[in-house]
Amino acid sequence: MNQLPSFEDELVALLPRLRRFAHSLSRSPADADDLTQATVERAIRSSGQWTPGTRLDSWLYRIMRNLWIDTARSRARKQAFEAPPEEAAGVGDRDGIEESLELARIMAAMQRLPDEQREVVSLILIEGFGYREAAELLDLPIGTVSSRLVRGRTALLVMVGER
Amino acid sequence: MSDDDKFFAWLDGELDGAEAADVAARVNSDPELAAIADRHRAMQARLKTAFDTVVAEPVPEPIRAAASVDRGNVVDLGVRRDRVRRTIPVLPQWATIAATLVLGLFVGAQIPGHGDSPVQVRSGALYAAAGLDRALDTQLASAPSAGPIRIGLTFRTSDGTVCRSFTGNAATGLACRDDDRWRVRGLFEAGEGQGGEYRMAAGMDPNLAALVGSTMAGEPMDAAQERAVRERGWR
Repeated sequence: MNQLPSFEDELVALLPRLRRFAHSLSRSPADADDLTQATVERAIRSSGQWTPGTRLDSWLYRIMRNLWIDTARSRARKQAFEAPPEEAAGVGDRDGIEESLELARIMAAMQRLPDEQREVVSLILIEGFGYREAAELLDLPIGTVSSRLVRGRTALLVMVGER
Repeated sequence: MSDDDKFFAWLDGELDGAEAADVAARVNSDPELAAIADRHRAMQARLKTAFDTVVAEPVPEPIRAAASVDRGNVVDLGVRRDRVRRTIPVLPQWATIAATLVLGLFVGAQIPGHGDSPVQVRSGALYAAAGLDRALDTQLASAPSAGPIRIGLTFRTSDGTVCRSFTGNAATGLACRDDDRWRVRGLFEAGEGQGGEYRMAAGMDPNLAALVGSTMAGEPMDAAQERAVRERGWR
């Protein structure tokens, strides 16, 4: 019997990519997993709004991005009183010390980008969306996406160097 | 589109036909521009490599549980959620501590004469050695030993790997089976975590508890399961 994969099966298959997107937006692995979990919970509650046959990944990325914007706004209000994010703090349960430190370094560099550049860099350079797909996902004109991408990647190149 | 925008659009494969050929010709005739293109390609590769390590990891249990809500038990899910919410505030702290300790040990392990160190570094990863290795190999959590190492929990991760938490005089940590060795996945200085009531209530260093909580799939093994898995060489 030929059946389309269920919503839940597709969702589970997309979890690793959603976590990657969350890590590129968030300031720590703990925040990233919190964001991933909140996204999954929202997606399950709103699964009736997804149209079968359309791309589930774009739909989920959009939910995650909107949740991240909401929490980023409330965090920005608090952040003036908090310590800056730790830099180059490795994570104990990742395989390989160097790998985990490298991830921490790159996450810290991404954090220094303005939110509107970070989301574009993340979707296009890391997640592999095309300019038009990213523009649709973010509800932005394609020209805005491409100019934010130029500014973001140029700033990142300066920050992370070319090792 | 500005020249800059066009150059990057070309780099990202967003141009076609005449436009793409136009930028390609410009890059080919300008070594400086070609070098910029190379630097940006290298940076993108570095970003991808770093974030792809996240894709390679097992998805933490609370997230998987949230995604399979229709198959699981709703009450059970509530319990899991409670656990992850409670442990998250300590995560950034244990991450820092783990990194500091692990790096300290890494440096220490390079120094000759540390033959009795409980950990050793091989190809950039940390493994149990000497007494710690023996304790992990032989001791049962259900049958405490007189030695300096106590074993806490034995459990499996979502990919079936066997992991064991341990406590020594100075540190507590988690080691997981990697072929025929124990790879140390986290190591925390004893007493370094949250103090007092939380510690007593949880019975486990909160840093270690957070790591175990994010690594364990299902329940810890009971005495019989632990004995059986030891007989199979921790597989």
